[in-house]
Amino acid sequence: MALSGNAPLQPLDPLAIGMFLAFVVATLLVSYWASRRTRSSADFYTAGGQMSGLQNGTAIAGDFMSAASFLGITGLVFLGGFDGLVLALGAFAAWPLLLFLLARRVRNLGSFTFVDVVSQRLDRTRIRIVAASATIVVVILYLIAQMVGAGKLIELLFGLPYEVAVIVISILVLAYVTFGGMLATTWVQIIKAILLMTGVTITAFLVMAMSGFSFESLFATAVSNHPRGEEILAPGVLFDDPVQVTTILVSMLFGTLGLPHILMRLFTVPDMHEAKKSAFYASLFMGYFYLALVIIGFGAVAFLYGDPQFFTEEGGLIGGSNMAAIHLSTAVGGNLLTGFMSAVTFATILAVVAGLTVSGAAAISHDLYAQVICKGAPEPRRELMLTRLTTIVIGVIAIVLGILFQNENVAFIATMPMVVAASVNFPILFLSLYWSQLTTRGAIAGALVGLVSSISLIVVGPQVWVSVLGFEQALFPYDYPALFTLPLAVITMAAVSYLDASPRGVVDRQNFHDLLIRSEFGERNQDIQGVPH
Amino acid sequence: MNHDQKLAVIKSRTRRRMLFSMTTLVLYFAFILNWTEFGSILAQRLGKSHITGSLLMFCGLIVTFILLELLFLLLNQATTRSGEDV
Repeated sequence: MALSGNAPLQPLDPLAIGMFLAFVVATLLVSYWASRRTRSSADFYTAGGQMSGLQNGTAIAGDFMSAASFLGITGLVFLGGFDGLVLALGAFAAWPLLLFLLARRVRNLGSFTFVDVVSQRLDRTRIRIVAASATIVVVILYLIAQMVGAGKLIELLFGLPYEVAVIVISILVLAYVTFGGMLATTWVQIIKAILLMTGVTITAFLVMAMSGFSFESLFATAVSNHPRGEEILAPGVLFDDPVQVTTILVSMLFGTLGLPHILMRLFTVPDMHEAKKSAFYASLFMGYFYLALVIIGFGAVAFLYGDPQFFTEEGGLIGGSNMAAIHLSTAVGGNLLTGFMSAVTFATILAVVAGLTVSGAAAISHDLYAQVICKGAPEPRRELMLTRLTTIVIGVIAIVLGILFQNENVAFIATMPMVVAASVNFPILFLSLYWSQLTTRGAIAGALVGLVSSISLIVVGPQVWVSVLGFEQALFPYDYPALFTLPLAVITMAAVSYLDASPRGVVDRQNFHDLLIRSEFGERNQDIQGVPH
Repeated sequence: MNHDQKLAVIKSRTRRRMLFSMTTLVLYFAFILNWTEFGSILAQRLGKSHITGSLLMFCGLIVTFILLELLFLLLNQATTRSGEDV
C-alpha cells in the first residue's frame, strides 16, 4: 500500500473518531474478558484451540483482508480498471490450496506455529532457528509496511499527527495481545471482519443503486468518465508484460500460503475437520469481499472522476489513489458512511497488526525460547511471561520502525514479506509434508538461497534500485521476484537433499513415513516407530 | 485400520488433493492468458454489453474456486461416511 506522503492533512472528523472510539471500547472489553481466560501458553498462542470453524474462518478473513486489500485494490482499479484485479485474484486463490494441501496435515502435526510442523521430521534445533528467523523477518517487514501505511492513512482519515497515529495503534494492539492473547486477537478480527463486510456491502449496494442496479450502466459510466475510456475493461493499462503478471500471481499465491500469522490460525480450532471448515469459510467471505471490490472499484471510477470535490488543483485524487474507496463512500453515502468506513479502516489495521504481533511473539517465545533454548520443556509460567514481554518488545519495535520509516516509500517493504514467505516458508513447509527425500541440510540451504535471492532481487528491482536509490534503470525488471526465487529455493532444497549422505539426512528421510501417517490420522502410529530426533 | 489400509487411504487422499490443486493452479494461471496474444479474445466485450471476457473470467474464477472447495469438502465427507476414510 503506497500512500502519498504529501497529501494535505484532513480536518479532525468527529463522526469517524466517535465510531472508532465505539470500536475501541468494544474490543477492549473483549480483551478484558479474554484476559481472564488466558492462563497458559496454549491459550495465548492459539486461544486454547477452542474456536469453531466458522469463528476461525471469519477471523482468518479479518486477519487477511487488510487495508492494503481494501484501499489498495480499489485504488488500483480506480487507476487502471481491470488490471487492478490481479492482486485480488492472487490473494484469493491461496485459500483453496490451503484447504486442499495444507489444512489437514498442518493441523494434525503442529501445536502453535508452522515451525512446529517442519521441525517434526527435520533436526529440531537447526530447522527451528532457520524457520523462526524467517518468520521474524516476514513479521517485521509486514509490520513496518502496516505501521507506515497505517500512520499515513490515519493522518489522512482522522487528521491525527503521524507519530500519534503510530503510537495509538501500538498501544491498542499491545492492550489486546498482551492481556487477551490469541483469544482477544481472534475476536478483534471477527468484529473487524463483520464491520468491513458490512461497510463493503453498504457501499457496493449504494453504488449499484446509483447505477439503477445495472452492471451495464455502472461499467458504461465508468468507461465514459475514465481518461483511458474503454481500455479499463480489459488488460493492459497497468501491466502489459505477461511475465510481470505471472510473477505477481506466483508471489501472492505462494506468499499467502507461507504467511506465519495465517498458518498459525489453523491451530486455534480443536481438530482438522474444523481447520478445513475454517479455510472454506475464509474463502467464502473473501470471495464475496473481492467480488464486491469489483463493484466498488468501478464505482470509484464512475462516481469520482469528473467530480472536482475529490481532486486537488493539480488534478490528482486527494490523498492519492488509495483514498478512492473512502472518497467513494462520501460520494454514495455522505459523511455517515465516510465516518463508518474510516473507522472500519482503522479497525482493519488494528486487527492485522494484532495477528502479526501474536505470530512474532510465538516465533520468539515458543519456537526459539521454549523449543530451542529449553529443549521443549520450558517452565510454563515463565514461558507465558516471556511471551507477554516479547509482545511488548514487538510493540515498541513497531513504533520505532514505524517512525523511522515514515518518509520512506514503503511499497518495497510491503512486497518483501510476500516474496520471502513464498521463497522460504512455503517450500520448507510443502516439501517437509509431501517429499520424503527432504533433509535438514537441504531445507536450510534452500531457505537461505530463497531468502538471499528474494531480498537481492527486490533491492535491484525497480522499487528499490530506481525509486529509493535513484538509479536510472533497474538491474532486475520485476517488483515481485518469486517466479524466480521460489523455483531456485526448491531446486536447491532438492539438489542438496539428494546429495546429503550425512547420518542426519538418513534419519530425516526415515522420519517421513511416521510423519505421513500422523499428518493424515492425527495420532502417533502404533505399527510404525519413527526414528527419534 | 491396519498399516496397509492406512497407506491406501493416504494414497487416495493425496491423489484427490493433487487433482484439486492442479485444477486450481491451471485455472489460476490461465488468468495470464488475458495479457497474451492467445487470450486477446478475452478482452472483447460480450455482444453490445460493457462486460468483457476478462471481467467475467475474474468473477468466474472466484466462484469456481469456492465451488471446488465445496466439492472437495463434500467428497471428503462422503468418503468418511462410507467408511473408506476416517
